Amino acid sequence: MTNGRRYPGTSPDERTGFEPYSAFDIPADLRELHGRYDVEATACRVRNFRYAEEWMMMIMGGWLATIPELPVKTGLGKIVWETAQAADALGKRLPELRAGRNLKTASEAPNHGFAEFTNAVAEPEDPELTIEKLGGMFDVLSPHLIEVYEATARSTDQIADAPTVELLEDIVRKARRHVAWGHEVLERLCDTDAKRERRRERARALHEQLAACGGVTGDGGPRGGLRDRSVAAAHA
Amino acid sequence: MRTFISHTELARDSRFVRQNALTDVLAQLPDDVDAVVEAFENLAPLLEAAVKGTPFEEVFEAFGPGFLPSILNEPITPDGPHAELRLRVRMHGIFMGELQALEGAGRTLWDFPDAPWEFKMNMARQCWDEARHVQIYEKLLAHVGGYVGMFPESTFLFEAACADDPVLRVAGVNRGLEGLACDVFRDIIKYAEKTGDDVMRQAVDYVLADELTHVRFGSEWVREFTKDDPERAKRAKEFQLAVDKKFSIGGTRSGREDASIPVAVADRKEAGFTDAEIEELYQVSAEGPTRATLRQAAAILRERHLARRATSAGAAA
Repeated sequence: MTNGRRYPGTSPDERTGFEPYSAFDIPADLRELHGRYDVEATACRVRNFRYAEEWMMMIMGGWLATIPELPVKTGLGKIVWETAQAADALGKRLPELRAGRNLKTASEAPNHGFAEFTNAVAEPEDPELTIEKLGGMFDVLSPHLIEVYEATARSTDQIADAPTVELLEDIVRKARRHVAWGHEVLERLCDTDAKRERRRERARALHEQLAACGGVTGDGGPRGGLRDRSVAAAHA
Repeated sequence: MRTFISHTELARDSRFVRQNALTDVLAQLPDDVDAVVEAFENLAPLLEAAVKGTPFEEVFEAFGPGFLPSILNEPITPDGPHAELRLRVRMHGIFMGELQALEGAGRTLWDFPDAPWEFKMNMARQCWDEARHVQIYEKLLAHVGGYVGMFPESTFLFEAACADDPVLRVAGVNRGLEGLACDVFRDIIKYAEKTGDDVMRQAVDYVLADELTHVRFGSEWVREFTKDDPERAKRAKEFQLAVDKKFSIGGTRSGREDASIPVAVADRKEAGFTDAEIEELYQVSAEGPTRATLRQAAAILRERHLARRATSAGAAA
């Protein structure tokens, strides 16, 4: 309890007795009001992210019937739901960024090239192509999104755009689990040199296509240089 | 990846084999002893080939092509004949159904990219639920001494999920098939209670809770998709009734007193089925043969089978 006034009055001598934060041993928030993206730019990125998550969900849903390995079917079932939740959360951020409430326009590819890249990820259909399916998703698309989400969360205004930061951090936490699961499955599936080569070739081709279109936001990634890093990763 | 794949294209590992003819025949059987006998006599060569090397081979030898109405269509009771086999058949059938439900929900996401977002969210959630159900029933199958692939798979559930209109999918799958799941799972819970199998009772009770949610998804989306479109609503209703009839498997699941799987009225009401809809289900599921008819037919089929076996043995000697 403090002595004196509990609420400010209208004249200078009618202040409350509460001390400002600096009077206490509470560390100051040293973050500055600065971010690479303004409201419109963040809304645009969120639309692009939602496009990727929505299509990932639909592609993996479609694959459930075409993958013969039972544990892969059940593992993907959970990832479909978590990816849908990510897309949903991104969609709910849009009205908060003055970007409308129409969910039909909430997802937007950055360019035609990224839409084509998404089609290429979705292309494998035959039951023999589980390596190509999971390779496209967990060697290329999902790691790319994690990288861009993390870079976006670091680059945007940490205070003003904190809801986007929190949202992306939550999505990344689950996406990392998805990628780890995908890699574990791929390592089990790729038990010969020929299969490992199939996985590498699939990643190489998709990385090239991803780099050519500039990634999920169409600008080559938040730090640039997407092409070089992706191709290097594929060759590694 | 194409949209709208056929049920014949469902990918499986080497443990699985397919057998769809039986389901179609069972769904069309009238309440007539001679017709049931004739149908199973016609199926005898197919059945004999299908059961070779499976746990059914022994019962086929004992009962002939009528082993299905003799054994599988009877209610499962702990002390009934071939109780373990029948329980494994039931668990395996449910396991396959859950697997196809997972695939069906996933395909709905892919086949209808322009569907409302909330619809997609419901289907995505259903993917996770069905994936868990597959895992649960794989474990329950092992719990009752069975294993994946021990019986042939019928893909009739996925066939019902192949409709090219999303409202037919939710009417057929979420209301027709998930409604059937409510009936079957309540029956299993009762069985588990009788045998004191708490593992089975608790796991299936969780699954049943999920199924009620899926029926609600179905009810809400049928309403939403068909509002202001009475023609589409009529098609959805007819499709659901056709699925209900097919999955009553000749009266195995019905409101009759002698039903092997009774309609779970309380669960269905909780899921949003109206009294009128439950009455319609009673009517459509009562069109198949009664248990008395099936028993009479099974006795005739067994007699003929044993006579044929005796003739063959005599000729060989």
